Amino acid sequence: MATYAVGWWAVPLVALLCGLVITLDGRPVVYATVCAVAGWLMLLLLDAARGPLGEVAARFGGVMGFPPAALVATTLLFPALLAWSASSIGAALRKKIVREPAVVLADA
Amino acid sequence: MRVGAATILLAALLFSGFRSIGQLPPLGRLLDPANGVWATARVADLPAVERGTIPGLRKQVQVLFDDRGVPHIFASSEEDAYRALGYVMARDRLFQMELQTLAATGRLTEWVGPKALEADRHTRSLGLPWGAERKYAASDKTSLATRSRNAYADGVNAWISSMKRQDLPIEYRLLGVTPFKWEPIFSLNFFSRMALTLGFNDASLNRLAAQTMVGRAAADALFPVNSPIQEPIQPNGLASPRYDLAAIPAPGTPDSTATLALAAQRSLLATLGVAKPNADGDAIGSNNWAVSPKRTADGHALLAGDPHLDLTLPSIWYEMHIVVPGQMDVAGVGFPGVPGVVIGFNRDVAWTFTNTGSDVNDYYAETVDDTLRPSRYKVDGAWRPLQNRVEVYRDKLGAVLKTDTLYFTHRGPMTKMAGKWISMRWTAYEPSSENENFLKAGRAKNATQWLDAMSSFIAPTQNGLVADRAGNIAIRSVGHYPVRPGDGRGDVIRDGSSSASDWLGYLPLSKYPFSMNPPQGFLASANQQPVDPKMNPSFMGSDWYSPWRAIRINDLLRADSAVTHDAMRKFQTDPGSARADAFVPLFLAAAAREDSAGRSDATLKEAATLLAQWDRRYTKTNRRAPLFEMAMRELASRTWDELIPPPNKKTALPAPDYPESQILFELTQTPTSPWWDDRRTASVTEDRDAILASSLRAALVSSRKRYGDPEGDGWLWSSVQRANIYHLAKIPAFSALGIPVQGGPSTLSPSDTAGKQGPSWRMVVELGPDVKAWATYPGGQSGNPASPRYSDRLKLWENGELAPILFPKTPADLDRKRVISTLTLVPR
Repeated sequence: MATYAVGWWAVPLVALLCGLVITLDGRPVVYATVCAVAGWLMLLLLDAARGPLGEVAARFGGVMGFPPAALVATTLLFPALLAWSASSIGAALRKKIVREPAVVLADA
Repeated sequence: MRVGAATILLAALLFSGFRSIGQLPPLGRLLDPANGVWATARVADLPAVERGTIPGLRKQVQVLFDDRGVPHIFASSEEDAYRALGYVMARDRLFQMELQTLAATGRLTEWVGPKALEADRHTRSLGLPWGAERKYAASDKTSLATRSRNAYADGVNAWISSMKRQDLPIEYRLLGVTPFKWEPIFSLNFFSRMALTLGFNDASLNRLAAQTMVGRAAADALFPVNSPIQEPIQPNGLASPRYDLAAIPAPGTPDSTATLALAAQRSLLATLGVAKPNADGDAIGSNNWAVSPKRTADGHALLAGDPHLDLTLPSIWYEMHIVVPGQMDVAGVGFPGVPGVVIGFNRDVAWTFTNTGSDVNDYYAETVDDTLRPSRYKVDGAWRPLQNRVEVYRDKLGAVLKTDTLYFTHRGPMTKMAGKWISMRWTAYEPSSENENFLKAGRAKNATQWLDAMSSFIAPTQNGLVADRAGNIAIRSVGHYPVRPGDGRGDVIRDGSSSASDWLGYLPLSKYPFSMNPPQGFLASANQQPVDPKMNPSFMGSDWYSPWRAIRINDLLRADSAVTHDAMRKFQTDPGSARADAFVPLFLAAAAREDSAGRSDATLKEAATLLAQWDRRYTKTNRRAPLFEMAMRELASRTWDELIPPPNKKTALPAPDYPESQILFELTQTPTSPWWDDRRTASVTEDRDAILASSLRAALVSSRKRYGDPEGDGWLWSSVQRANIYHLAKIPAFSALGIPVQGGPSTLSPSDTAGKQGPSWRMVVELGPDVKAWATYPGGQSGNPASPRYSDRLKLWENGELAPILFPKTPADLDRKRVISTLTLVPR
């Protein structure tokens, strides 16, 4: 939805936030990556329902020198890598922020 | 470690997402399924019902798109019609319109950067934008042409401002650019560009180049003012071609006086970036013909036209139908970027054009006050101020790439080469209003009115053919033909310091090549010399295309006294060739004579046998046309060896192209001419038959090497000759390549080896009680490569078929089953 609303660069932003905010059994990175891919896949399916996506894949793939299937794969790999990297950074930052300071108790 | 890797990866992805890398545009913008190229799938089809608004629109306009993608525009005023046309053309072809505008104005660098700088500099140096600005400044602001351009611009801009992200054509996304505002002057820029494509024919270059090698007398014969085979456009009363064949003077002493003129012209043209004249006049060319009712099966006049231009996707043409009740009802094709129909028909007349190819530009050696930074030039002893223009070339981001200062005399742009300043005068610079001519032509009620509408047309010169429902047919070569002082020739550099060098005026309309309702009952033009010099010796040009196509179409029309519209269609892809008819017997006779003289061998005998099997028709399935074409190439290179500089000799100037094949045919009438002797065989003096035979022999050897076994598929004409229709930006995935075609050099559907030019539009019109038309072009109405209307017409075109054109008088007359989209445009 963020991609639809503002553009592709919403993916790393949302993924970064995801890594910062969500714990989910310590797998925010997996969650963000899967959601990014699923989101773009849904948008592609929406495009396919409204027009000749196969034709676009063939034409555009030809422009880039890719077969159509490879082009679709690249289109899904791009957000996957964006989400993985951004959420990894987010998760790492979260660990740094929420880590308890070391407390040394003096001997009684 | 993982965080480090993630950081580096994210940085790289963001960089590639926002910035171009090499040829790849920013990936993020491209791959985004909501806003990138994938989104173009959503707008590939026209919506069934749509509504739009256009500022300035007076009343509602209804546009019905038929299943061929043709918009039928029903408006209550002409200006509203052109607003609607601008809107729908922009929706279908915006990228094409803007790309060609940038090309015509020398601003391609603003989209593609420094690699287009030289092309842009050439465009501006040639004065194309300057000439368009002159026309614009001189135009009557209340004229039909001005109002139509303004209204059209309203429509285009209305579309641009209403575009959603998904509507942006894929090419903009790939280039990383956005549309710019459309200005009315862009329509004039387009005509300037067309004038360059069609009306800049420097046949004099070849003659001058030949003169520097073989002398004036020989050069004049090799590149003559008049065609030795006369089959003119304006009928001369003969029932067959007239052969004014003469002996070609032997190669003479090189004439060094021509060297300077040639150097100056070559240098000027190189500076201006103008492509050399077509090297092979047999490989391209447009046709049109019309038949009087007395020679048609149904007793109605028939008209056919197929202009040959660069084949591109999307097509250079856009099909349309415009109805303004009581004012106009016209259908046909026009150019994206220009309002109105250029080739087409209305309820009373039909018309089409071929290029005349006349000589309408001249050069002048100017005397300036300062060779480095001139500010004045001298004419008749008095100094005149030069006009100068500072041209700034920018890149995508607006940064300045280069600045040029251009100079203009009263004649045109002035360029410096070899220390001399040379200016050029060209009819395309004259204030004119070509699109007004076409708009008025579209309202004509009969052939005479149509001719009147076109009488003020200036450039490029065109053979305009018209037919009407009353049964009249007429042709006139419209455009301005300069009348020059002295011998009237246009192939010299004149002294710019004397006003006596300037043009004396233009040929009067009464002297234009013209014919109406000739006794023969038909008219045809195929870029041949327009008028028999014995009837009208006015200089209009030289080195005309060989009239093989004209001979062929006239033969077909003479042989059929009950022509049907379907016959007209078939003629357009007729595989017969007058050139093959002329040369094949010569090759075979030469082979037979060599055999009789005991000078033959197995290869020559086999070559003659194979060639004799050919029916001289360029059908897709024939296997002998490749051999003939190879033999013709061998013949030309062996015969015109005097025009090829020796390999070990460096020349400052390029050699001329080979003379037209009609000159080669003329030479065959002199079997012992010195031209036949191949200088590269010092111990032998060849004659005509020896060269013909050796050419045929060599052709078989080369053909076997290139195409394989003569009975194999490699020899099929469909394997050898193909059309290659490239996308405008030369993107292979958006192109249609390797299309087998019927026809070859000098047939009615000629093609060259590159296959990039051909019949850009084919149309047949029957002028009966109800005008009927059939047509197609190689491509589709939409410029969106994902659209089903991008290349839907290709198969029809490939097969030589035509589709019936829907021509409803009212919206209700259009069969609803054939309507795929309804667009209602309302005032904003």
